[in-house]
Amino acid sequence: VLRLLHTADWHLGRRFPSFPEDAQKKLSRARLDAVGRILEVARRHGVNAVVCAGDLFDEPTPVADFWEGLAKTFNDYRGPQVPVFLVPGNHDPLTPESVWAAHHPFRSRLPSWVHVVDRDDFSHELMPDAVLYARPCRSKAGEIDLASALPAREPGDARIRIGCVHGCTFDIEGYQTNFPICRDAGVQRGMNYLAIGDTHSFRDVTANSPVPTVYPGAPEPTNFDEPDAGSVAVVALFRPGVRPRVNRESVAFWRWIDVRCRDLNELRGVLTKPDLERHVVRLHLDMAVSVGEESEVERILNDLQGSDAAHGRAGVLLIDRTNLRLQPGSAGVFPENLPPVIKDTIARLDRLIEDATDDGEKLKATRALAHLFKLLKTHEGVVGQPR
Amino acid sequence: MRLLRLRVMDFAAIVKAEVDFGKGLNVLYGPNDLGKSTLAESIRSVLLLPHSSTFSEQYIPWRGGHQPIVEMTFETEAQRIWRVKKQFGKSGSSLLQESRNGIDFDDIAKGRSVDGKLREILRWGIPEPGGTGSGRGIPTSFLATALLSTQADVTAVLQESLQGDSAPSGKERIAAALQAVAQDPLFVSLLRATQARRDEAFTDKGMKKTARDSPFRMASERLKEIRDEKERLQALVDESESVEELLRELTDRRNVAEESLAVAGQRQVESERLATQAAELAGAAEDVRLARDEVARIQTLGSDVAGAEQSAADLAAKKEQAEQAVKNAQHRKVEADAALQAAQDAVVSASGDTATSATVARQRLELRRAAAEKAFSEAQQRKEAVQAAQKLVESAASADRTHSTQESEVQRTRASVAAAIEQQQRVEQQLRTLDVLERALEARGADQQVAIAQAAVDKATALRTRFDSVAAERDGLQARRESLKVPTAETLTGMRRLATDLAKARGALDVGLLVTITPHRPLDIRVQKDNAPSESESGEQVVEIEAKTHVELDLADVATVRVTGGRRDAQRTAQALNERWREEVMPHLAAASATDLDELDAKVREATELDSSIQAKEAARRSLKEQLESLSGSDDALRAASDRQRTGHAALGMPLDTLTDDLHRLGRDPSATLRKQRDQARGALEAARRADSEEGTAHTLAEERSRSSRATLEAAISARDEALQSFPEGLPIAFADVQAALGLATEEQQRVTRELASLDSSIAAEQARIDGALSDARKKADVARSQVEAAQEQLTNAITKHASETGRLNELRRLRDAEDLVAAENRLRTASERHGTMPVPERLVSDADITAAREAVVRANSHLDMIEREIQKAHGALEQVGGAVARERLRDVIEAYELAERHEREIEADYEAWKLLLEQMKDADAAQASNLGQALAPAIANRFEALTARRYENVRLTAQLGTEGVVAGGAVRPAECLSVGTREQLSTLYRLSLAEYLGTTVVLDDQLVQSDEKRMDWFRALLVDKARNFQIVVFTCRPEDYLSQAAMVAPGTSPNRDTDDGFVRSIDLSGAVQRR
Repeated sequence: VLRLLHTADWHLGRRFPSFPEDAQKKLSRARLDAVGRILEVARRHGVNAVVCAGDLFDEPTPVADFWEGLAKTFNDYRGPQVPVFLVPGNHDPLTPESVWAAHHPFRSRLPSWVHVVDRDDFSHELMPDAVLYARPCRSKAGEIDLASALPAREPGDARIRIGCVHGCTFDIEGYQTNFPICRDAGVQRGMNYLAIGDTHSFRDVTANSPVPTVYPGAPEPTNFDEPDAGSVAVVALFRPGVRPRVNRESVAFWRWIDVRCRDLNELRGVLTKPDLERHVVRLHLDMAVSVGEESEVERILNDLQGSDAAHGRAGVLLIDRTNLRLQPGSAGVFPENLPPVIKDTIARLDRLIEDATDDGEKLKATRALAHLFKLLKTHEGVVGQPR
Repeated sequence: MRLLRLRVMDFAAIVKAEVDFGKGLNVLYGPNDLGKSTLAESIRSVLLLPHSSTFSEQYIPWRGGHQPIVEMTFETEAQRIWRVKKQFGKSGSSLLQESRNGIDFDDIAKGRSVDGKLREILRWGIPEPGGTGSGRGIPTSFLATALLSTQADVTAVLQESLQGDSAPSGKERIAAALQAVAQDPLFVSLLRATQARRDEAFTDKGMKKTARDSPFRMASERLKEIRDEKERLQALVDESESVEELLRELTDRRNVAEESLAVAGQRQVESERLATQAAELAGAAEDVRLARDEVARIQTLGSDVAGAEQSAADLAAKKEQAEQAVKNAQHRKVEADAALQAAQDAVVSASGDTATSATVARQRLELRRAAAEKAFSEAQQRKEAVQAAQKLVESAASADRTHSTQESEVQRTRASVAAAIEQQQRVEQQLRTLDVLERALEARGADQQVAIAQAAVDKATALRTRFDSVAAERDGLQARRESLKVPTAETLTGMRRLATDLAKARGALDVGLLVTITPHRPLDIRVQKDNAPSESESGEQVVEIEAKTHVELDLADVATVRVTGGRRDAQRTAQALNERWREEVMPHLAAASATDLDELDAKVREATELDSSIQAKEAARRSLKEQLESLSGSDDALRAASDRQRTGHAALGMPLDTLTDDLHRLGRDPSATLRKQRDQARGALEAARRADSEEGTAHTLAEERSRSSRATLEAAISARDEALQSFPEGLPIAFADVQAALGLATEEQQRVTRELASLDSSIAAEQARIDGALSDARKKADVARSQVEAAQEQLTNAITKHASETGRLNELRRLRDAEDLVAAENRLRTASERHGTMPVPERLVSDADITAAREAVVRANSHLDMIEREIQKAHGALEQVGGAVARERLRDVIEAYELAERHEREIEADYEAWKLLLEQMKDADAAQASNLGQALAPAIANRFEALTARRYENVRLTAQLGTEGVVAGGAVRPAECLSVGTREQLSTLYRLSLAEYLGTTVVLDDQLVQSDEKRMDWFRALLVDKARNFQIVVFTCRPEDYLSQAAMVAPGTSPNRDTDDGFVRSIDLSGAVQRR
C-alpha cells in the first residue's frame, strides 16, 4: 500500500481586505500554522509522500515572512522526512521571478526532502513500483490541460502512477483559461490517482471512475462560501486495478460562519455558541432596537469583538449593521433623575425626531440619543440615584 | 482683565499722571480736587471713547494748549498684554498694541479701528463705533456701568440691565462666565465627553476635519485605498475577460480558418489531379497528331517530286525565251545610241555661236550699268554733302541763339549778386550799430551796479556800528547776570514748598514751654531759649522760663537740661526739613546773597528779566550779524562793479551821452528791444548771405554756360564755313544740280537693266530648244538600254529558277527514297489507340485555376498562422493579467469595498449624531443658563445678607440682571426703598460679584462714602479677600476706609506701597498726579 497525503491551496500570504487589520493578521498567520498541522497528519498516517497540488502561496512573489515561515516549518519538522512535493499553481506560477525559481533564496532554505516541481517532465519514483508525475503552472492563466500533458502509461508499465497538477475541472462553455483538466485525464494518462488543486472545498470529481481525481480543498477556508474547506486528502493506493481509497482529514483551525440575528435574544444566543474563539463570524444584525437596546447590542458586540483591553469572545467578528434599525425617540429609556439640562437635551432631540421631515434627520437625532444613553451608561452609579 | 499701567498727559486738570497698578486691590487716594475722578474718567475714555469724539473736548486742558493723551496698559489673559494710547481731538490718534512680555509691543490697530478692536477684546456689550446706538459721549452698556461707573452715580448698576445693551457680547460674556460656574458636574462631564467625540471629527467651525487622524479622512482613505485596488483588479478582470472573449473568438476563427485551409487544400489537390489528367490526354492527342503528320508528310513527298519535275521542264522553256528577248533588246539599243550621238553633235555646233554674241552684248551692257551706278553714287555723295552743309548752317544759327540767351542770364545774375552784397553790407552795418548800443547799455548797467554796490557798502558800515553797540550792551547784561547766583524758578518753588513744610514742622514744635526751676541751694543758671542769646541767673529764687520751642539750661556744673517742644516724630520731621533747608536752600541764599526766600525770589525775577534782556540783545546781535554777513561781500562787489564800469566805457569808446537818444529809443526794456533788433538783423544778415550765396552760384553757372555756348557757336561757325567753301555757287544751286544728276543716273541704270533682261531671255530660248532635242535622243537611248538590262535580268532569273528547281527535284527524290510510309502508318495507329484509352477529365482546369487554388491554400495557411499568433499573444496577455486569480481577488476586494463604504457611512452618521448631540446639549445648557439673575443673585444675596446681618433675606435679579429688589419680610422691596448707604453697598456688592465672575477689574470711584465704620470694616475685609481673585481699583479721598495705617504710603517715599503679599497696593496720588 502506498499512502499519500494530498493537499493544495494553502494560499500563504493571502490578505483579507474585508477584515480589520488585527483580524487580517490572525487569518494570514493561521494559514501558515495549518502547514504544521498537515505535516502532523502526514506523520500520523505514516504517508509515503505529501503532494501539494498548487496555490501554496497566494502570489508568485509573496513577502518574505511567508516563504521564510514555510521554510522554517519544514526545517522545524521533526517527524519522518517523507518526500514533500510542491507544485506551483495559477496563483503562484513558476516564473523566473517567482519564489519557485531555482535562484530564489526560498529554494536554498528548503530541506532536501522537499521537492519543487519546477520542470514540465517532473517525475519521482516514490517506491520501486510507484512513480509520481507532476507538471507546474507557468502562468496565472492557461489553456493547457496539464493533466493530459502528463506522460501516458507505456505498454507493460505496471507501476502505480500518480499525477499531480493544478487546474480546473469545471465544464465551462467557451474558452478555458484556468488550466482546464479533462475529467477522465487520469484514466487517459494511465494514472492510478490524480491529485489536483484549485477549488477550496474538498471534492472528488470522479466518484464513479476507477481513477480518483480529487480536490482536497484549502486547509484553512478563505471565505464564508467554502463550507467544505479545511481538509486534506489521505490516499491509500493498492495494487493496480483496485480503486484507491481517499479519506478526508480536517486540519483547519478556523471555522467561518454567517450568523443572522433577528432580535436581541438571538444575538445573546451567539454568545453561548461553543468554540466561538475558533470561529470567523459574520454577524448580520437584522433587527429593530430601541435606544436602550442599541446600547445592549453594542455591549454584546463589544463582548464578541473584544477591545484593546480584552479579547473578544469570537475569534474574528465581522458585523453587518445594514439592517440594524434604531427605533426613533427616547421612548422612556432614560432615567428620571437626570439633571434638568440633560432632560432638556433629551427633550430637544425627541422634538427633532418628531419634527423631522426625512428619515435621515430622524435617524441622526435617534443616534444622538443613543450616544447620550451610552454616555450616561458610562456614568452608572451617578445616573439612577437621586442626586 | 487686569489694569497694569495708566499714563495721562494734559487731560483736563491733570498735567501729568502715571500709575502702576497692583494685581489685587489698588487704593488710589488723595485729597479732594486732586484729580481722582478725572483719572477714573481717563480710564473710561481711553477704553470706550473714540479719540475724535467731540465729547473729548471737555478733556482739553482748561488753559488750552496740548491735546489730552491717555495711555493704558492692561492684560486680558496670561501673555496677552495690550496697550492702548489715545490722543483726543479732531487731529488726534489711537493706537492699540499687543505684547506677550509687556516690553515688546506690536501694533494691532490704528485710528478708528482701535475702538472696534477694543470692544471686541472687552466684550462689554458695546457695539462697534459708527453703528446704531452710538451717540455722543462715552458709550455705555450694563457691563461698562457695572465695572467703571462714575462717582456721580454709584448705584447706576441697580437701575440697569442687559436689556439696554446694543450688542450681545456683554450678555454672552456674563452667560459664559455664569454658565461655567453653574453647570451640573454630570452634565459637564457628558458635555466634555461629547465635545471630545465631536472634536475627533469636526473643526471648531463645524467643518469636517481633514487631518490625517480625522475619522472621516481615515475612513475615506481606507475606502479610497480599497477602491483603487478594486479598480485595479476590475481593470485586470475586465482585461482578462476581454482577453478570454478574444481567445474564444480567436478559437472560433481558428476553427473556421482550419476548415478553410482544408477546403483550399482539397481544391488544390483536385485541380492538380484534373490538370494532370488533362495534360496526359493532351500529350496522347499530340502523339496521334505527330504520327498523323508524319504519314501525311511522307505521302506529300511523292506528289512534291512529280510537281518538281513538271516545274523544271517549264522553267527550261522559259530560259530559252529569255535568251531570245535579250538579243532583240541589244539590237534596239545599238540604234538608239547612234541617234543620241547625232543629237549631241548638233548641239555642240549650235551653242558655240550663240554664246559668243551674247557675251559681247552682256559685257557692253555691264559697262553701261557700272557707269550709271558710279554717276548715281557721286551724285548721292554730293547731295549728302549739301545736306550736311545745310545742317551746319542751321546748327551755327542755333548756337548763336543759345549763346545770346546765356549772356542775358549772366547779366541778370551779376545784378542779383550785387544787390545781395549791398543788402548784406547794410545789415552788417546795422549789427555794428546794435553792438555799440549794447556796449552802451552795459556801460550804463555798470554805472548802476556801482551805485548799488556803493549803497551796500554804506549800509554795512552803519550795521557794523550798530552790531558793536548791541554786543557791548549784551556783554554788560551778561556780566550782571553772571554776578547773580540764583536757582531756577522750579527750584525756588520746591524751596518754598520746603519752607512751608519747615514752617509747618516748626509750627508743630511750637507748643509753648514753661520751665520752672526751683533751686534747693544757690545756683548759677545759664538759660538759652528759642535760639536767643543765653542769659544767666543765680541765687536760690524760683526761675520761670517761658519759651516757644526750645529751652536749654546749664545748671552750674551739675547738668545741662535741654527741653524741646513737640513730639519726637515732629522733631525728627523738623530736623529733617531743617537739614534739607540747610542743604537745599541755604547754599542758594548764600550764593545769591539773599537773606530769605522773598529776597531770593526778587533776585530770581531780576535774573529772569536779565535773561530775557540778554536773549533779546543776543537775538538783535544775531540779526545784525546775519545782516552783516549778508553784506560781507559789498566791498568786493563795489570793486568788481567799478572794474566792470571802466571796462564797459573803454569798450564803448565814445561818451555815453552821445548815445542817449538812441538808448532812449530802445524803450523801457532796452536789452529786450536790443535783443529783438539784433535777432531781426541777424535774420536779415543770414537771409542776405543766403541770397548772395545763391545768386553767386547762379551767376557762376550762367557764366559757365555762356562760356560753353560761345565755344559751341565758334565751332559751328567754323564747320559751316569750311563746308560752304565746297559750294561756291551756293547751296540751293548745288542741291538742284545734284538732284538732276541723280535723275539721269537713275534713268541710265533702269535702261541697262531692261536691256540685260532682254538679252538673257533670248539666250535662254535658244538653249531650251537645243536641250529639248538632246533630251529626246537621250531618252530613247536610255529606253533601249533598259530594255537590254530587263531582258538580261529575265534571262538570269530563268536560269536561276531552272537550276533551283532541278536541285529541289533532286532533293525531293532523295527524301522520298529515304522515308518509310508503312512504319509511319503503324505509329499513327498505335498513338490513336493509346489516346482512345485515356480518361477524360470531368472538367477543364486551367493553370490559372491551379495557381488560384495554390494561392488560396497559402492565404488560408497565412490566415491560420495569424490567428495562431493572436491566440499566442492573447494567451500571453492572459497569463500576465491572471484570469481566475484576478477574479478571485476582485471578489474579495469588492466585499471589502462594500464593507468600507458601509463603514464610512456609519462613521459619518455616527459623528453627525455626536455633533447634533453636542449642539443640543449646548442649546439646553444655554437655555438653562439664560436666566442669569438666577445664577448671580445667590452670590450677591449671601454677601448682602452677611453685610446687613440678615436684615434682608434675598436679592432678586431678573433674567437680564436687572435689579428687581431685595426680599425683606418675605416681600420684594425695590432698591429705591433702601437707604442711600445701603443702596451704595448693594450696588458695590453687585459690581464686585459680577467682576469676580468675569475675573475682571472693577473701578470703584468713592463708592462707599455713605457707609458707616462697621460696614466699611466689613467691606475692607471683603475687598482684601477678593483682591486675591481679581483686580479692584478704588479711588478715594479717605484711604483709611480701605487701608490699614501700615498699608499707606509713607510721606516722602515712593507713591506706591504694596502689602498683603502684593495683593494690596496703596497709591498716593499726590505724588503720582501733577495738577495744574
